[in-house]
Amino acid sequence: MKWYVIRRVLWAAFASFIILTITFVLMDQVPNQQLMQAEFQAAVNDVDVETAVQAEKERLGLDRPFHERYLDFMTNVFQGDWGWSYEYDQPVVDVVRETVPYSLLYGVPAIVLSTVIGTAIGLYSAVNQYTKKDYAATFAAFFGISIPNFWFGIVLLVVFGSWLGWVPIGWNADIPLAADGSWTLLETAGSDHPAFFRQDFEGERYVGILSPANLKQLILPTFVLMTGAIASVMRYARAEALEYVDADFVKTAKSKGVSNRAIVTKHIFRPASIPLMTILVGRILGLVLFGSYLIEVVFGIPGIGLASFQAIIRQDTDLVAITILLPTFVAIVGNLIEDIMYAVLDPRIDYGDR
Amino acid sequence: MSTRDDTTDVRDVPTERDDQPLLKISNLHTYFRTDSEDVRAVDGVSLTVDPGETVAIVGESGSGKTVASEAITRLFKSPPGYIPEGSIEINGREITDLSDEELRRVRGGEVSHVFQNPQGALNPVYTIGWQIREALQLHADVSKSEARERAVELLTQVGIPEASSRLDDYPHEFSGGMKQRVLIAIALACEPDLLIADEPTTALDVTIQAQILELLAELQEQRDMGMLFITHDLGVVAEIADRVAVMYAGKIMEKGSVEDVFETPAHPYTRALLDCLPGRGGIGGIPGELPDPRSPPPGCRFADRCRHAIDACRTGDQPGMHRVGDAPDHTTSCVHFEPGRDSSTVLDAGSEPAGSPSPPDDLERGGRR
Ligand code: SF4
Repeated sequence: MKWYVIRRVLWAAFASFIILTITFVLMDQVPNQQLMQAEFQAAVNDVDVETAVQAEKERLGLDRPFHERYLDFMTNVFQGDWGWSYEYDQPVVDVVRETVPYSLLYGVPAIVLSTVIGTAIGLYSAVNQYTKKDYAATFAAFFGISIPNFWFGIVLLVVFGSWLGWVPIGWNADIPLAADGSWTLLETAGSDHPAFFRQDFEGERYVGILSPANLKQLILPTFVLMTGAIASVMRYARAEALEYVDADFVKTAKSKGVSNRAIVTKHIFRPASIPLMTILVGRILGLVLFGSYLIEVVFGIPGIGLASFQAIIRQDTDLVAITILLPTFVAIVGNLIEDIMYAVLDPRIDYGDR
Repeated sequence: MSTRDDTTDVRDVPTERDDQPLLKISNLHTYFRTDSEDVRAVDGVSLTVDPGETVAIVGESGSGKTVASEAITRLFKSPPGYIPEGSIEINGREITDLSDEELRRVRGGEVSHVFQNPQGALNPVYTIGWQIREALQLHADVSKSEARERAVELLTQVGIPEASSRLDDYPHEFSGGMKQRVLIAIALACEPDLLIADEPTTALDVTIQAQILELLAELQEQRDMGMLFITHDLGVVAEIADRVAVMYAGKIMEKGSVEDVFETPAHPYTRALLDCLPGRGGIGGIPGELPDPRSPPPGCRFADRCRHAIDACRTGDQPGMHRVGDAPDHTTSCVHFEPGRDSSTVLDAGSEPAGSPSPPDDLERGGRR
């Protein structure tokens, strides 16, 4: 077991290394923004473009040989120096640190809820296979998968925001924050709080992550992200559980006198949960990260998805690289956790120790 | 529910047993709904098992023997399966109309099952100790440590060496034969009155088969437990059973004590089956196919494959259960055994496989045991 874990960790490290290398090579090919800017400046100021670019290259260390720059890049990545964002005019690390919490705000509840609800529906559907309930659940799942997230988001926004006025249309990024701009769970603030910009009222209102106003503006994005995720989880859970519904050991359990509920929760869900783990951690994470792009654009949530989206449009190279690398590393770490969990949960796995 | 059926009224035959049977199945039907007509897997079966007795149901695959055995505790998948008619009594109590909750107490309590394929019959993600304990705790209020002790005892009884050290092992660490022993231990956990064993040795190696059969016979004797043994193998029947019922296309063709049925096989189907045994000359089985279980033809279900078939075989219902000779419990469902007809047309006929011309070099012809 110990060796198995060590082997898996080494593999994950190796995979990260490969990915970073590829990223470096690719970024090396992309026209450098700073050089382009220097070129532009030189042209405007009417100095020799060649010399200016050369000077800038030297300043940035781009004139050094490939392997030295590669080594530098790797060291920087591990030291947390991920480059500079020209759009935000601050280090990429800070951009990530500021935007990721916004994505987690609706991403975490969406992952948790969709996993729980999707698994439950999938199991239910599998146990009632080929009945009307199963057909209804499968149809709903099909529906959930087919609907494009961004379109669904816009429709909900129009219906619940514009027509019914139940939720705000604009996303207020200051509500989950305290007056000084730090994150807070729940506190009260007066009308001088940035969230209430240009609003006049007496007394205090709630701000913070758990404040009613914040929860209200999270409902739609969470819901939109969930629909697709629930449907995928449900389909996987159903397929997994179906493999066991007719298994001989389920019949054994039934013949022992185990109740239907215990058969589903203990005898079907437990073995099915092992492969499900694999799928869920990897796929759902990917789905959520991917889905967050358009959801954040539609709802105007200043999360990592929106940052990445804008970075691509404005060619903010370093930020693009990191917003693409991040999900990749999340996936690698997710896979690692998955495999280790699999080994812990499934007694049949041979760890190949010794 | 009706307990009488004109085709299978074995109770007309006087018996010496006056104590209540452990299991009494009367006119049991089990159908499966399909898009078109129902599949009649079990179509009027009556059978009894006494305490301490082993009754074998023998038949080819598709004869309905497994469904019949699973219908007793309603283990078949439902829907589509259902019991349209018939009665099942355990120790005198009707169980076809029990609620799911009540039936759960019967399953694993009074009636236990052992199935054909031990490979998949244990849950791969739980230790065998857990799985035995689950059975124990479902039916008795025992503490974890008591259950553990009891599990060790059971495993020792079914011949698992060093049982206490194997409780925490997972199923994949056991061989097929050992798994079947574990499953038998699970089945016996709550001291059932009736053990239903559905081809418990078929999936095992020949040497292991004999061991498991021996173990079952031994345990049954110790516990004075009734056993319903489902098999396609007449050789196994001869070894383990006291009485035998031959099933074909959802109905019982012949039943009686093992001695009587093997000495004087009466039904043409039984006779054909016996001819297929190794060393009996016939090879390759009985030509022809089972009738369509959705719409069985009128008359005797075996008529299409029977070389003794006469016109009377193709009308009305399956022939009633008629006595064979003087044996008290030996009955068969064949028109030739109707009172007034000459049963010797069947009994004295040669033993070549039904419907096929006998090969000239068949030396074993006519040989009955
Ligand atoms: S009833 Fe007729 S068809 Fe059926 S077994 Fe007897 S002889 Fe054959």
